[in-house]
Amino acid sequence: MVQVLEKKQINDFLAELGKKFEIIDARNDILPPKQYFFPPKEEIFTFDKKSARVSIPKIKKDFIIFGLSLPDLEAMVQLDEIMRKPQEDFFYFQRRNRAYLIGLSEDPICLPPVCALPGGDMILEKINEGQYRVLTLTDKGKKIAKSRFLKSFKNIEIKKYPDGLVPMPTLKKMLLDPEYLSDIVAWSWKNDAKIWDDLKDICLGCGICTYVCPLCYCFSVEDRNASRCRQWDACTLPNFAKISSGFNFHKTLKERYYNWFFHKFVRAYKEYGKSQCVACGRCKKYCPAGIDIEKVLINIKEDYEKYLSVAKS
Amino acid sequence: MSKPKIAICDFTDCEGCQVQIISLREKLLDLEKHFDIVDWRLVQAKKEKGPYFATLVEGTPITPSEIETLKYFREQSKYIFGLGSCASLAGIPGIISKENREKWYKIIYGAGYKPQGIDALPIQAFVKVDFLIHGCPVGQEQLVRFFEELMAGQTPSYRNYSVCFECKVEGNPCRLVEKKPCLGPITQAGCKAVCVSGGSACYGCFGLRTEPNIRALLTILNNITDKKEIERYFTMFLSRTEEYQKIVKPNL
Ligand code: SF4
Ligand code: SF4
Ligand code: SF4
Ligand code: SF4
Ligand code: SF4
Repeated sequence: MVQVLEKKQINDFLAELGKKFEIIDARNDILPPKQYFFPPKEEIFTFDKKSARVSIPKIKKDFIIFGLSLPDLEAMVQLDEIMRKPQEDFFYFQRRNRAYLIGLSEDPICLPPVCALPGGDMILEKINEGQYRVLTLTDKGKKIAKSRFLKSFKNIEIKKYPDGLVPMPTLKKMLLDPEYLSDIVAWSWKNDAKIWDDLKDICLGCGICTYVCPLCYCFSVEDRNASRCRQWDACTLPNFAKISSGFNFHKTLKERYYNWFFHKFVRAYKEYGKSQCVACGRCKKYCPAGIDIEKVLINIKEDYEKYLSVAKS
Repeated sequence: MSKPKIAICDFTDCEGCQVQIISLREKLLDLEKHFDIVDWRLVQAKKEKGPYFATLVEGTPITPSEIETLKYFREQSKYIFGLGSCASLAGIPGIISKENREKWYKIIYGAGYKPQGIDALPIQAFVKVDFLIHGCPVGQEQLVRFFEELMAGQTPSYRNYSVCFECKVEGNPCRLVEKKPCLGPITQAGCKAVCVSGGSACYGCFGLRTEPNIRALLTILNNITDKKEIERYFTMFLSRTEEYQKIVKPNL
């Protein structure tokens, strides 16, 4: 049996869920889903002098994030893992545990046993012009699947769609071998310095790539008058690696820009066995300088292969 | 212990930044529990002599007597703070075109008029300034933050990230990506990207961010528009900065 949701009933389905949950429609979001669990700027606690009590933000209602892309769902699985180590990030999970993630795919999804499903609690997969197949992945997913708008069928019409536009197809393939990515990025710093010299002249150091990346999670902390605030930080910003003595570990934009690659592809591989990138394409789409990390990695790969072939001969 | 004394003075400007202080309303009264505003021409008759703990300077001096007054406040104050872009960057008075000024002097004041005014410069061209509260006008949240830091004995701090952070948080697509000029990436945050959200470009009124990559932005702007436009964007607020003179101007 296959559960199906009619395209024209998506809004009814959401409206029904809206009676019990807060619904967030993420379909037109610029910022990635991390924003709902780890807001760009947040007072994580306040201290009341009179009562000598600390209070933290209260999450009142379970909420549903609707319309996440497959790369975003994949990123969420990885972000959950990151946020658990070395200690569970209380403020992140306080929200994350209350959330239900519904993915939306306009393309056919590669199903198990061939592929693993990307993540989330439920995914709506387009199967023809008028219908979506409902894939439930978790208990949370099952809970929200109990809806009169989801109908079960024995036979459904599945139209074969050509693969839609994958934002960064080559990078997606490269990510299958994170060890190799880690090796070539680490190699490039000294051996392919021109790449980084050129990039530091183009990059504005504005941090947008980091803000829009579903797998960047750096923040800085500021204590205000009786409150503590945390806010997204970015390794391309000038004070990112500055410590209180005034010493800056990354004095130049070149070092700072390289750090964005180093962390995603080298350090992340060491710590988690995979790159912290899901080839969602946002960093390229929103970079005012038009920097395309897929191209950068392809260039490094080509230079590395040339280097290897010269070394062999 | 008596409360620290604060003076607020103003030179050539629109007084909008002082209005922002007044608009803090109850919050201002709250803050005032910690200090006394003893000289504030715009809003009170009370006017005490120095020394002051701090003086907030709005606007920029453009006559000899205004410069003298600024120097007087410097001598009398432990700290001098620039309030708003006219003080911190010469702001709106800095946009004046010299040629037009000559013409209008004659028309308005007659041929015999001897102009006294000098070209507007940021106040740090005349006295040592301890901190600049940027903005045209300054933001209320920013003012509260500033006063709180001051009262807590902290050194007020600049935001070392670009307007782009706030712009992305506001959910705006990017002007530069859409091939429209914007100075957001080189500009200090603090305004919540109001101009971009409102459909305009960022003209940089919050001043340059730490280590802005101006050359990289110029390359992008050169692909989007012409030199005249680039000049217009930069001279709205940033023409009196060293970076403009050294990096932008020679490339126009
Ligand atoms: S978005 Fe582009 S210009 Fe801005 S820091 Fe990232 S790579 Fe550099
Ligand atoms: S493509 Fe860019 S934005 Fe997307 S996950 Fe990778 S690094 Fe982050
Ligand atoms: S790439 Fe930079 S901003 Fe992103 S998580 Fe790593 S260090 Fe932080
Ligand atoms: S529109 Fe301007 S301020 Fe906003 S992200 Fe783009 S460059 Fe930055
Ligand atoms: S967007 Fe730019 S010009 Fe507008 S208030 Fe902010 S800093 Fe000033």
